[in-house]
Amino acid sequence: MTKISRRSFNALVGAAGALSLAGGLSACSSGPRVVVVGGGFGGATAAKYLKRYDPSLDVTLIDAQASHFTCPFSNTVLVGMNDMAYIERKFDKLNTMHGVKVFTDMVTAIDPATKVVKTAGGKTFEYDRLIVSPGIDFKWNAIEGYDEAASNVMPHAWKAGPQTVLLKKQLEAMPNGGLVVIAPPGNPFRCPPGPYERASLIAGYLKKHKPKSKLLILDAKDAFAKDKLFKEGWEKMYDDIIEWVPAAKNGKVTKVNAKDGTVETDFEKFKPAVANIIPPQTAGQIAITAGLADKSGFCPVDPNTFESTLAKNIHVIGDAAIAGDMPKSGYSASSQAKVCAAAIIALFKGEKPLPLSAINTCYSLVAPDYGISVAAVFAVKDGKIASIPNSGGVSPMGANYQFRKKEADFAVGWYQSICQDSWA
Amino acid sequence: MRGFPVTPVLRLAFGLALAPLALVGTAHAADQVAVMADACSGCHGTDGHSVGGMPAFSGKKADELKKVLHDFKSGAREATVMDRIAKAYSVEQLDAIADYFASRKK
Ligand SMILES: Cc1cc2nc3c(=O)[nH]c(=O)nc-3n(C[C@H](O)[C@H](O)[C@H](O)COP(=O)(O)OP(=O)(O)OC[C@H]3O[C@@H](n4cnc5c(N)ncnc54)[C@H](O)[C@@H]3O)c2cc1C
Repeated sequence: MTKISRRSFNALVGAAGALSLAGGLSACSSGPRVVVVGGGFGGATAAKYLKRYDPSLDVTLIDAQASHFTCPFSNTVLVGMNDMAYIERKFDKLNTMHGVKVFTDMVTAIDPATKVVKTAGGKTFEYDRLIVSPGIDFKWNAIEGYDEAASNVMPHAWKAGPQTVLLKKQLEAMPNGGLVVIAPPGNPFRCPPGPYERASLIAGYLKKHKPKSKLLILDAKDAFAKDKLFKEGWEKMYDDIIEWVPAAKNGKVTKVNAKDGTVETDFEKFKPAVANIIPPQTAGQIAITAGLADKSGFCPVDPNTFESTLAKNIHVIGDAAIAGDMPKSGYSASSQAKVCAAAIIALFKGEKPLPLSAINTCYSLVAPDYGISVAAVFAVKDGKIASIPNSGGVSPMGANYQFRKKEADFAVGWYQSICQDSWA
Repeated sequence: MRGFPVTPVLRLAFGLALAPLALVGTAHAADQVAVMADACSGCHGTDGHSVGGMPAFSGKKADELKKVLHDFKSGAREATVMDRIAKAYSVEQLDAIADYFASRKK
């Protein structure tokens, strides 16, 4: 025990989180090896629950970052409700409390034939089963002119971290009376209500600090998640600030110019003070490199085990997976991770995996004291993940202040709980 | 460890010293009920140990939990979101979920 303690202690204290956390409880892990790529909602939960369901497993988690900044609640950071530290999740408890070996490194290759994962740092990891939860990457140039370099001028802020900080700074620097453009992509994409929560909170910020400003949502769609509820809130609070332009009214952004700062639809050209361009997405690059994605850019999987239909012994969860009715949310990723962990254990034992039972509950803040939600429970039907009929759905329209306030409080409670459930 | 106001370093030491115990405390076979019930933990915390403003299940009796869940399902109890969620489960499933959380360590 003393020996293990010292090793872990040194790794933790000496490295400000950047080194591997390979000591801890892992000494007693003599069972089959599972490697998890990505320590976001999907990967962290999978690693933790694998050890919870079977402590003898040898579980290794690899993330490219020393800590994970969550997208959930990053919209509150943009408007100064919370700071970056509030959304930073560290991996140390996965090691010290659950015995997961943690490495900070970028996975660059997966070889399904030899069951080996390779990293940018030159390491190789052998696995018996692999879980891939890399989140999303972007289709650069799907919007003409919007490439990675352009995102440093017109941030997407659709992965939390430096992009969040950049967008926040731009909002702070813009003049009173300036124009903010938010350009959400078509379906499917990460967090369907996310752009509209962002629009709401930014409108609240503008109303308070820069009341002459306008916010234009230039949408590639004609409908969006919880749209009636959002519009109800906007009418009440931000009627003179937010304008939503659907695709049918030529809202779709087709071109940007990062040099002169312009944003174009087929019919109009804008020069916003702040342009938040959210481009179309694919599964995280490593899933594509490893041949786990189909031509949609996302990864087809078995609906009960999340094992790739394109590669044996590799499971894909979270935003990267094609998961039927489940939206690309942190809650979905985390719920899928538990199902996947249980399935992997059954498969190791040569048992039939259990049928999927999963939940998604997503809160959006229309204002700091005004929350709305969508919920669903999922089971497999006709080979697809489907929401269970006559249940779930969105918050009621026309609810009173107390109801909206309660859901705003629950949104915060949700965030605290899911972070505990996933990383601690 | 919950509830101990310890410094990070101390907490780390505790974490390591107590970890095997903690593991026994939270470990659970991945059976059908566990998989169904653990989906709830996204909002209510692992084993129902909510750390924030969401209702916690720890310390609740099975019968109490069952009644609440039944009432959410029937609509007898006012809710923001739990009515929508409880409707997806049969009464037997809700009872199994309640028994599961009642059996978890406080
Ligand atoms: C603004 C915004 C708000 C949101 N709000 C909510 C919300 O309120 N509720 C909700 O449920 N969801 C919300 N979401 C959605 C949520 O963020 C995602 O659905 C969730 O993060 C998906 O989890 P994941 O595990 O698939 O990917 P991620 O959480 O993105 O994790 C992926 C991890 O993999 C790592 N990684 C990627 N490639 C590699 C590699 N090659 N090697 C090593 N590591 C790698 C990354 O560093 C990252 O840490 C929001 C999203 C946005 C953008």
